[in-house]
Amino acid sequence: MAKGTVMRVLVGTRKGTYIVEGDTRRRKWRLGAVAHPGDEIYHVVEDPRHPGDLYSAVNNMFFGPMVQRSRDGGKHWTELATPLFPRRKDRTFQMNDTSPSTPVPRALNNLWHIEPGAASDPETVYLGADPHLLFRSSDRGASWEPIAGINDHPAKKDWAPGFGGACLHTILVDPRDPRRLYVGLSSVGTFRSEDGGGSWVPTNRGVLAPFQPNKHPETGQCVHHVAIDAGNPDTFYRQDHGGMYVSHDRMERWTRIGKPLGDDFGFGVASAPSAPGRAYFVRLDGRARVTGQGHFQVHEWNDRTRSWRTLISPKAFPGHFGVQREGIATDRLDPAGIYVGTTTGQLFVSPDAGRSWQLVPFQFPAIHSVSVGGPTPK
Amino acid sequence: MRSDSSPPGTAPTHTVRCDGWLREFGPKSSEKLRASSVDQLIDALEERYPRMRFKLRDETGTLRRYVRVFIDGADVSATTGLRTELVEPRTIDILHSIAGG
Repeated sequence: MAKGTVMRVLVGTRKGTYIVEGDTRRRKWRLGAVAHPGDEIYHVVEDPRHPGDLYSAVNNMFFGPMVQRSRDGGKHWTELATPLFPRRKDRTFQMNDTSPSTPVPRALNNLWHIEPGAASDPETVYLGADPHLLFRSSDRGASWEPIAGINDHPAKKDWAPGFGGACLHTILVDPRDPRRLYVGLSSVGTFRSEDGGGSWVPTNRGVLAPFQPNKHPETGQCVHHVAIDAGNPDTFYRQDHGGMYVSHDRMERWTRIGKPLGDDFGFGVASAPSAPGRAYFVRLDGRARVTGQGHFQVHEWNDRTRSWRTLISPKAFPGHFGVQREGIATDRLDPAGIYVGTTTGQLFVSPDAGRSWQLVPFQFPAIHSVSVGGPTPK
Repeated sequence: MRSDSSPPGTAPTHTVRCDGWLREFGPKSSEKLRASSVDQLIDALEERYPRMRFKLRDETGTLRRYVRVFIDGADVSATTGLRTELVEPRTIDILHSIAGG
């Protein structure tokens, strides 16, 4: 264990932000700071370029969305600029939930995902929001600019919200080229930009949309979450409403990998820097939206052998568990730590790439998101 | 209904009170503000307390769903709302409604 360092599991819940702290052995955890009581926290993330800097996507049901930042690992938080647009003449993103082809002025709804930019671009942060909006900050959240290429995409009039809203929930940056961006939009699908967000192309070829009359539409795809392979940034793992997929060509084409599992529905997916070529999914029953086998389980996809394995004994954690799109995370250590938060407030941790699992001894409110920061100097 | 054309300097002065959660963003105790309408009153509040911006109204200018405005004890949120005229000095309470779970 590296002395004087701390690992932080950042837990966004239906009732606030929770920071869980441990060391690099990842065997013992204690509850640290708790913030934003009563607020819906859809995502909390540590900025690896600025250790100890945390961002939280705070959604207050009374007073609206707020981006908050901590500079001290979660002890103190400050409200940053929230990317709202009071000047109506500048409001170009418009949508009507019930009639998407009828544009109307609409307020920003919930904030869904905060993504620190590339290591080579240390001041840049991205923000995904509802209704299908992407923002970029070039000053670590002090101000935000809308990315018109996706916010005003010509096809947007045909986009409709999913059950969770019109969320832009996935933002990925190619670590080799910060101008190459990928986004995932609920009920729409994935897009790629090669020019820093100026233009976007849909990237949903090969994905089945079982709920559409056209089973393979260019958009109208219900992507739930996407993870990038840390060892090969051309490879992506996708949990879609229509199953589990992999792409090896920057999302040009997707191949379904989940069929051997039977029902390959789910919301979350993650991959770990120390385990390239592997991805972690929590398979859910497509109807009940909980682990249908009667126990908690994580499935590992091995992209080299193109095979699956389960990581947890069926007897270890009996029950029906829900896991949301941001509910699975990994850390940067070797062996990889895997972290899964549930909609009933359990936080499962494996410190050894899935060989052993434990429950963090704290009952959280319903968990929306899990991410991991550190190791960071205390 | 709307009397926003009256400059705030000539408008009546009102007593404004915000509830507990709103004190995080706005006045800690009652506040005296000039305004000719509820909309104008919120403008004045936001000018004095910039963190209140977008907390009561969203960026389209609509009163947020769970924010309630009472004028001398009467809830106007769902009736005349932001357009409510304030032609005489009033006591205005701004609350967040009881909701959630």
